[in-house]
Amino acid sequence: MRVLLIEDDIEAARLLVKGLTESGYRVDHAADGRDGLARACEGQHDLIVTDRMLPHLDGLTLIEQLREKGVGTPVLVLSALGSVDDRIRGLKAGGDDYLTKPFAFAELLARIEALLRRRMRAPHVTRLKVEDLEFDLLARRVTRAGRELELTARELKLLEFLMRRAGQVVTRTMLLEGVWDLHFDPQSNLIDVHISRLRQAIDRGSDHPLIHTVRGSGYVLRRDS
Amino acid sequence: MRLDLFNTTAFRLSVGYTLLLTLAVGLTLGSAYLLTESLITDEVDLIIDTELQSLEEKFARSGLPGVTDEINLRIDSWGRIGAVYMLADSSFERIAGNVTHWPFDGMPAEARPEFEIATIEPGRRAVHSVRAAVRTLPGGDLLLVGTDISQGQRFAEKFRFATLCGIGLSTLAAALAGFWFSYKLARRVGEVTSTCQRIMAGESGRRLPVAGTKDEFDALAASVNRVLDRLEEQAGTLRATFDSTAHDLRAPLHRLRTRMDALLLRSPPLEPAVYESIESALREVDHLQRTLSTLLQIALAESGAPLAAPAAVDVGELAAELVELFEPVAAAQGLTLECSPEPQANVQGNRQLLAQLLTNLIENGLKYVPSGGRIEVAVRRLADRVRLTVSDNGPGIAAENRARALQPFVRFGAGSKSEGGGLGLSLVAAIARLHRGRLELENNAPGLRVVVDLPA
Repeated sequence: MRVLLIEDDIEAARLLVKGLTESGYRVDHAADGRDGLARACEGQHDLIVTDRMLPHLDGLTLIEQLREKGVGTPVLVLSALGSVDDRIRGLKAGGDDYLTKPFAFAELLARIEALLRRRMRAPHVTRLKVEDLEFDLLARRVTRAGRELELTARELKLLEFLMRRAGQVVTRTMLLEGVWDLHFDPQSNLIDVHISRLRQAIDRGSDHPLIHTVRGSGYVLRRDS
Repeated sequence: MRLDLFNTTAFRLSVGYTLLLTLAVGLTLGSAYLLTESLITDEVDLIIDTELQSLEEKFARSGLPGVTDEINLRIDSWGRIGAVYMLADSSFERIAGNVTHWPFDGMPAEARPEFEIATIEPGRRAVHSVRAAVRTLPGGDLLLVGTDISQGQRFAEKFRFATLCGIGLSTLAAALAGFWFSYKLARRVGEVTSTCQRIMAGESGRRLPVAGTKDEFDALAASVNRVLDRLEEQAGTLRATFDSTAHDLRAPLHRLRTRMDALLLRSPPLEPAVYESIESALREVDHLQRTLSTLLQIALAESGAPLAAPAAVDVGELAAELVELFEPVAAAQGLTLECSPEPQANVQGNRQLLAQLLTNLIENGLKYVPSGGRIEVAVRRLADRVRLTVSDNGPGIAAENRARALQPFVRFGAGSKSEGGGLGLSLVAAIARLHRGRLELENNAPGLRVVVDLPA
C-alpha cells in the first residue's frame, strides 16, 4: 500500500514516515501543499494523509482541487485546529476522516487501515459472518454457534461496527465517533465498559473468544487472539 | 417571523393620525356648516324684521285698514317668494294674510317661532317650513310675518350630508393610507428583524436588504450592513488568531507525542521500566492536550464568536443517548443514572457541543456523587426554550461557592485529584452561553442541581 503524507512539520513528518514504513506502508512525503497536490494527482497512492495548514496551498483547498480533478483517493486530514466546526469544514471539503493533533500513532494506523479497507468493503450486505457469529442485519438478529443472543439496540450497533471491520483494529475514538456520533473524548473509560458487556454476551462460555483488546490501540474482532 | 401589523408603532401612529385628521376635518366642515346655517337664518331674520318694521310704520300712519291693504298688496303683487303674512285679532282670528289659521297655540314663546304650512301647489301637496316673528300692534291685534325656509333647510340638509360624507371619506382615506403605510413600514422593519434573527442564528454572511429607494430605511440598512461587515471581519480575524494559537500550541505537543510514540515502537523494544515510564509520560501529554482543548474551546465560546453552522438538535434524544452511554459506568460505581426526556425538545445548536455539555455534567456527577447515590437527567420543553436539568444527591456545592464553581480551575471537595477536573463546569457554562442559554446551579437538597435553559 502506498501512502502520500503531506506535512510541512519536517520533524513530525520524519517520525510518521518512519512509523508508517515500519508498519509496512510505502510512504512518499511532500512538504507543502503545491507539491502535495502535484504528487496526489499522479494517482499512484492508495491513501493521502494531509496536514490542514500547509504552505502555498491549504490542506482543504488541496482536497477540493483534488476532487475537482476527479481524483477519488481517500484523504485523512490531520489538524492542529481541532475545533468542532473545523472538523465539519474538513469533511465538507471532501476529506474522508479527520484527526486532531496530537494523536497516538496507533490511532493514525487504525484510521489508515480503516480507510484503506473501506474501499474493499461490500456496501450492501444483509448478513455479516465472523466464524460462528452471525448477524442478520435486516432482522437485527445475532446468533453465536446457532444460539440466538439477546442484545440491546446499542450493543447491536456496536457489534455491527466491529463485525464490518473484522480483523481491523478499531480504536475507542473510532467507536465513539462511529457508534455514538461523539467527536470528543469523554474522560471515563466508557468504551471499555460497553465492550466488556458486549464481550460477556458474545464470548461467554465460548472456547475461542472473538473480541480482543489490542494494547495501546483499541479492539479487534477476529478468530485468533 | 409573522407580521403582527396591529402591534406595530406605525399602525398605532396611523390610527392616532386618522383620529386627528377626522377631528380636524370634522371641525372645519362642521364650523363651515354652522356658519352657513346661521348666515341663512340671519338673512331670513333681517328680512322679517325689515318687513315687520315697515308694516308697523304703516300701522302708525294709516291704522289697521292701511296694514290690511298693504298686506294684501304685498301678497298679490310684488310679494317676495315664500313670504307669509297674517294679521289676526287678539283672539287669534284671521283679519288678513295668506295663512288661514293662527299657526301657534296662543302667543309663541320664542322670538323666532317656526311652523309648517301645507300648500296646494300644481299637482302636489307640499309642506313648507316657515320662520316667523309676531308683533302685537297697539290695539291688541297681532301681526305675523314669516318666510318659507324650506329651501334653506334643504340646502342645510344637503350641506350636512356633504359634511358627514366629507368627514367619513377623509377618515376612510386616512385609515387606508395609514394601514398601507404601516403595512409597508412594518414589512420593512420586519425584514430587518428577521434578517437580524437569521444572522444571530449563525447565517453570518446575511445582510439587510437595500431597496435602492435611497430612503432612511436604505440608509439604516446600509449602516447596519457596514456594522455587520465589520463584525464578520472581526470574527474572521478572531478565528484566524484562534486557529494560529491552537496550531502553535498543538504542533509542539504533537511532535513530542509522535517522538514518544516512536520510542515505544522501536525495535529492539525498550526495557520494560523505560517503556512504562514513557507510557505514563504519554498519559500526561494526553491530559495536557485535553486540558488545552477544553481551554481553547472555552476561550472560543467566550470570545463571542457565533456558533458555527447551528442545526436543530433534539436535546431529549441526545440526553437519552448519553445517559445510555454512561449508564454502565454509573452502574459499575454503584450509582443510578436515569433520564426523563420530553420528545421533540429541539434547540438550534451544535450537537457535539451540547453532547459535550451533557457529558461534562454527567461526568461531574460520576466524579462527586458517592456510591449508592443517583444522577437524574431531565429535559423539559417550555414555552420558548428547552430546560435541561442534571440533578444528583451528592455533596452539592455550598451556596457561596456556586458562582465561583463556574470559573476555570476551581474545584471543591474530594475527587479533586481526578483528571481534567476544574474545567468541566466552565466549559458547560461557556457552551450554554454560546447557545444563548442560561446556566443555574441550585441546591437539590441534598445535592447539586444544574439547570440549563436553551432558547428553542
